Amino acid sequence: MTEKNIIEMKAVEKRYGSFRAASDIDLELKEGEFFSLLGPSGCGKTTVLRMIAGFQEPSRGSILIDGQDMAGVPANNRPTNMVFQSYAIFPHLNVANNVAYGLRGKVPKAEIDARVTEVLEMVELGGLHRRGANELSGGQRQRVALARALIMRPKVLLLDEPLSALDKKLREQMQFEMRNLQQSLGITFVMVTHDQYEAMTMSDRIGVMFDGRLMQIDTPATLYARPCNRAVASFIGEMNILPALLMEEGNSLLLIDAAGFGRMQIERNPNASGHARDILVGIRPEQLEIKAEKPADYPATVQGTVSNVAFYGENIHYHVAVDGIDTLMAVSVPNYFHTVDFNRGDAVWLGLQEASVIDLGKDK
Amino acid sequence: MFKLRSEAAKGYTLSAPATAYVGFLVAAPLIILIAYSFWSQTYVTLDKSLTLKNYREALADPLVHHLMLRSIWIAGAVTLTTVALAYPIAYFIAMKARKKTIWLLLITIPFWSSYLLRVFAWKLILGFNGVMNSALLGMGLIDEPLSFLLYNEFAVVLTLAHAWAPFAILPIYVSLQKIDPSLLEAATDLGNTPVQRFLRVTLPLTVQGIIAACLIIFIPTVGDYVTPALVGGSDGKMIANLIQVQFGAANNWPLGATLSLLAMMSVGFVAIVFVIAGRGVGRRIR
Repeated sequence: MTEKNIIEMKAVEKRYGSFRAASDIDLELKEGEFFSLLGPSGCGKTTVLRMIAGFQEPSRGSILIDGQDMAGVPANNRPTNMVFQSYAIFPHLNVANNVAYGLRGKVPKAEIDARVTEVLEMVELGGLHRRGANELSGGQRQRVALARALIMRPKVLLLDEPLSALDKKLREQMQFEMRNLQQSLGITFVMVTHDQYEAMTMSDRIGVMFDGRLMQIDTPATLYARPCNRAVASFIGEMNILPALLMEEGNSLLLIDAAGFGRMQIERNPNASGHARDILVGIRPEQLEIKAEKPADYPATVQGTVSNVAFYGENIHYHVAVDGIDTLMAVSVPNYFHTVDFNRGDAVWLGLQEASVIDLGKDK
Repeated sequence: MFKLRSEAAKGYTLSAPATAYVGFLVAAPLIILIAYSFWSQTYVTLDKSLTLKNYREALADPLVHHLMLRSIWIAGAVTLTTVALAYPIAYFIAMKARKKTIWLLLITIPFWSSYLLRVFAWKLILGFNGVMNSALLGMGLIDEPLSFLLYNEFAVVLTLAHAWAPFAILPIYVSLQKIDPSLLEAATDLGNTPVQRFLRVTLPLTVQGIIAACLIIFIPTVGDYVTPALVGGSDGKMIANLIQVQFGAANNWPLGATLSLLAMMSVGFVAIVFVIAGRGVGRRIR
């Protein structure tokens, strides 16, 4: 990754009649970065991707790719290539001709052949040159789509939900493969996804979108640890969200009275959009310790009753009903015997360290 | 396995009425036709001893050659004209039009009147004192009526192209409709201009539709009898008119049957060559 900006979007807006598909999009992407646009369906992430590709023109604002303003530049003249959600493999062409499609007529035939072979090796489809488009499996189609875009040596590779059509095992394998490919090629990847795990495992940075707006742009770890508001906090991973009263506001610390848990001192979240008397705090389920007795070594505790247990294998999710607040979720690693420690109806204690409570700013 | 068998049996049962119907109305007359072609007739006596006389006679007759070639040429011209005009319409409906159903309905409007009436309508338009000539005279663009509009090959091609247009539009429309829009975006994304994209993606993916449209028009128009009889004049006569004469005025059914079979074979041959060539062209585009 270099310090050079490969994509700059300034105050970009896309309107369909009175509906704003995307608004106030300000984005700077570094060369060689793996960036993901993450959000629920209909949040405008695909619109942003398609504006970069040139399939849609912004209603307002500007898009620069490698310093050049893309206004009025049609999709076929942009230094970007796209991997489509449906893969869009040309059904009348075999693998080699699909991959060579964008080079025909621009590059000598011998060079095309060499580059096709090279890029097919790269996506592990070596030797499948003459395979017909309709004889490919889902994973192979995905690789052909990737090869067909990469052979163009784009400045930016755009990926629209590239893994959503694959089964879970293959999807996880491709996540690593694509990440490795991106790092070895050093090309900027911009991926649209609604799958938070996909975005977290592959990206250098993630932009979280809701209702056409970019809510937060950060590294996966920062998004998880310091989400800017309730929406981002509950979209990325699981989060218990509690109301709290702000008693004293310092520059780096806040003194709060959190519902159920009482007074505590927590770190101020610089990403939070603002503070007021009523704020929200978040607690990751894996930070809640579940015990049969009141835990002595935890400064904040609460008592409740187990209302639901879900055994996932690598961890166990407990839903704990607590008087006066919403049901809390605690996640714990199973014991050595992989048996469940608590059952539905058991009275339990939940313990919490102050450092793990996340300030989510004022409650709107 | 047992279930599969009963499924197949169900299929045969369901198609049995149609099979019987087609068998009776197509296969039976065809067999009679073949039988007739090997018989011979002198005035009113039908000689049922088998002979190749009709085939020898037909193949040696320059008039038969001439009419057969003209029929194929006219049908080819009709096919080419119709498909060339139908493709843009089908493209518009499939790719651009908002209210596709209304457009498709509008296209079927010519069928709301009978074929014969439409041919007569063209006669009224193209005739010596017809709409076209009156209009041109009225506007002062010509001094005397144009005579080349009616009773020639041009009139036959024009009339048939109009009559068969929906049959070309529909199969092409269906094949265009089936194209995944993301394929077109992918072509653009890979650097194609709209024209390149059309030639490299849209056209190859609609080859099947074009071939279907060509066959649907070419095969029936080679044997068309009504249109050349009404608007063709002597220059526009086709093989079907000669066949009709054998079954009518000339009263030589065996020769008529032979000519019919020869016409069918010629059409079949041209159609097969066309399908193979069309597929080959479709496959060569990359």
